[in-house]
Amino acid sequence: MRIVPVVVAFALTLGGCASQEFVVHQLPPETPAADNAAAITRAEALANDKQEAKSEQQSGGEQAPPLTSADAPSMRTYDPWERFNRFNYRFNARFDEAVFLPVSNGYRRLPPRIRSGVHNFFGNLSEIGSIINYTLQGRLRRGVRSLGRFAINSTIGIGGLFDVATKIHWANAPTGFGTTLSKWGMHPGPYLVIPILGPSTLREGIGLLGDYGAPYGVNIANLYRGDQSWGLGVADAVDTRANSKFRYYSSGSPFEYDDIRFLYVRKLLLEDEGLHKKDPRKRPPPDVPAGQ
Amino acid sequence: MPATVPLVEINARMPWARPAPNIFWFDGKLRVYFSAQDKPAPLAIVIAGTGGDGNTTSLSTLRGALYGAGYHVLTLPSPTFPGFIVSASSTGVAGDLMQDGQDLYAAIQRIVAHLPGKVQITDIDVLGYSLGGANAGIVKSIDANEHKLHIHRAVMIEPPVSLFDSVARMDKLFALSIGSGDAGVERLYQKIYAQLANLYRASDRVEIDTNFLLSAAAAVLTTDAEFSAAIALIFRIDLMNVFFAGDLYAKTGVVVDPKHPPKVGEPMERIERVLRGKPFSEYFTKVFAPYYLKHRAHSTTESLIAANRLDIIGDALRNDPDYYVQTNSDDLILDTSELAWLESTLGSKIVVYDHGGHLGNLGDRQQIADMLDMLAGRWHGAAQ
Repeated sequence: MRIVPVVVAFALTLGGCASQEFVVHQLPPETPAADNAAAITRAEALANDKQEAKSEQQSGGEQAPPLTSADAPSMRTYDPWERFNRFNYRFNARFDEAVFLPVSNGYRRLPPRIRSGVHNFFGNLSEIGSIINYTLQGRLRRGVRSLGRFAINSTIGIGGLFDVATKIHWANAPTGFGTTLSKWGMHPGPYLVIPILGPSTLREGIGLLGDYGAPYGVNIANLYRGDQSWGLGVADAVDTRANSKFRYYSSGSPFEYDDIRFLYVRKLLLEDEGLHKKDPRKRPPPDVPAGQ
Repeated sequence: MPATVPLVEINARMPWARPAPNIFWFDGKLRVYFSAQDKPAPLAIVIAGTGGDGNTTSLSTLRGALYGAGYHVLTLPSPTFPGFIVSASSTGVAGDLMQDGQDLYAAIQRIVAHLPGKVQITDIDVLGYSLGGANAGIVKSIDANEHKLHIHRAVMIEPPVSLFDSVARMDKLFALSIGSGDAGVERLYQKIYAQLANLYRASDRVEIDTNFLLSAAAAVLTTDAEFSAAIALIFRIDLMNVFFAGDLYAKTGVVVDPKHPPKVGEPMERIERVLRGKPFSEYFTKVFAPYYLKHRAHSTTESLIAANRLDIIGDALRNDPDYYVQTNSDDLILDTSELAWLESTLGSKIVVYDHGGHLGNLGDRQQIADMLDMLAGRWHGAAQ
């Protein structure tokens, strides 16, 4: 727990708080030239996907028939714990503003090389979870790829600080327990906003427990015992936050909770569609809220 | 495009703002974004389009180009953005060109006076896209009377000529392409969901990231009708917040019970569904007009509509050499008579591109080059 006062001090010194009237946050610089190039690559990948979708639909084969409008889930979302969730969403927004953002903005001022090292390090540790989950999902080829990535990055990549595997076109493709539960046939379940972590559903929440439990159980290099395990957890959280552009209430809208809930659950359901493309599940009637 | 552009976010309290209503607790401060040059430079102030915050993708594109051309860049939300309505509007009822312009002008003064660091400003120009284009023109015209900022040039990118006529056109597009009410929205959603699922199944991806989702959502729209529907829907969603906030502040009781306004933590889905099905023209008849007719002596519905046309600064647009307009001949928010009015009023200070629709060519090489020429006073007419 010794890390906590350090983090708070770090937040206060680097938070960049001027006065109550004017609060200035330093943001990471924008990179228009690189963004432009990335958008072009993305457009090409998409065109490719569209082409594949077309040819798969034409060839038929072992694929399930393509979805039609009638297969779309309801626009309403299953949220029986709405008041609790809204409370948590608000708490998360405040926590983010007061603690998470100032700390991650400070962290972003570290040299990019150090930050990418930290990011790669945690990415590499998460391969352990991916190996376990791909195995549980019966997707052994992907599991082997995660194992290969872990082996390469832990050795040639010096303990995971460098992502050598991506350079040789073994791209990162993480998976977790939530996806495993989906593969086993579990529906997303009620929407759930988890304190500090944010939007989830019951299934994904259970999955998260597994995701945190797995590295603790495996306890590689004895990293997950003693004081440094707390430091590791905090650093992982800060690194994750610093790599996300999400800002609470950046929409300025009183409907933000509803909009995020809608998008989050649809994204999850779309991922489920991909996961079950060979064994499509029975669809609930259209009047059942999505996720139930 | 420069390799990197520094960026700070400024959250500023406006002294004239009323306490934020409970449901808008997060919008108490105006959030703007600033990129500073490390040497003396002109300042470009850019205003977002309808419903946009201070850091939209379009603003980011313009910021990159302007910063690369040597400007300090300050980007602001639209006065129709809920964060602006709550933190900087003096009425809470957005959409009145002059009132919004006054609020913007006051906010800009306060922010420019408190820019962080030692920023040396040699000149000030103002720009905006879509509704922000009209706002930019109004802000310059206010400054021409008040001389508090000494704004030099204004570049208005694809502005509407009449806000309410443009919105009515969008409502019509919505009714034609989606159908009236919420059932049409549901049909469009189902179609997009099914196509996205098919696209995603075919791809080899494991996780969907936001970038993929956004570009894929755009990629599955293939017919003109689907595009029109999506544009109409995005516009409608942008304006739902204006409707909600206006109804709350003006206490007009259309979707918000004035005696029991929704509080933070209460379910909002019902209100959202009702608003999604409402044409924006209802905002004018049931919120905007009742509020301004009450607060503005001698006004009539007709005078309110007339006051929201760019004609109100027609003389300045015609005679002052420092107003410029960029637009497209196929822009959805203009009709032929409005485009003709812009052309005859601006004369050589307008460029009309053949294609681009509404904002489709924002960030294109030609648009950016012309914009920079206009800002720098190098523009000598479209046929140069």
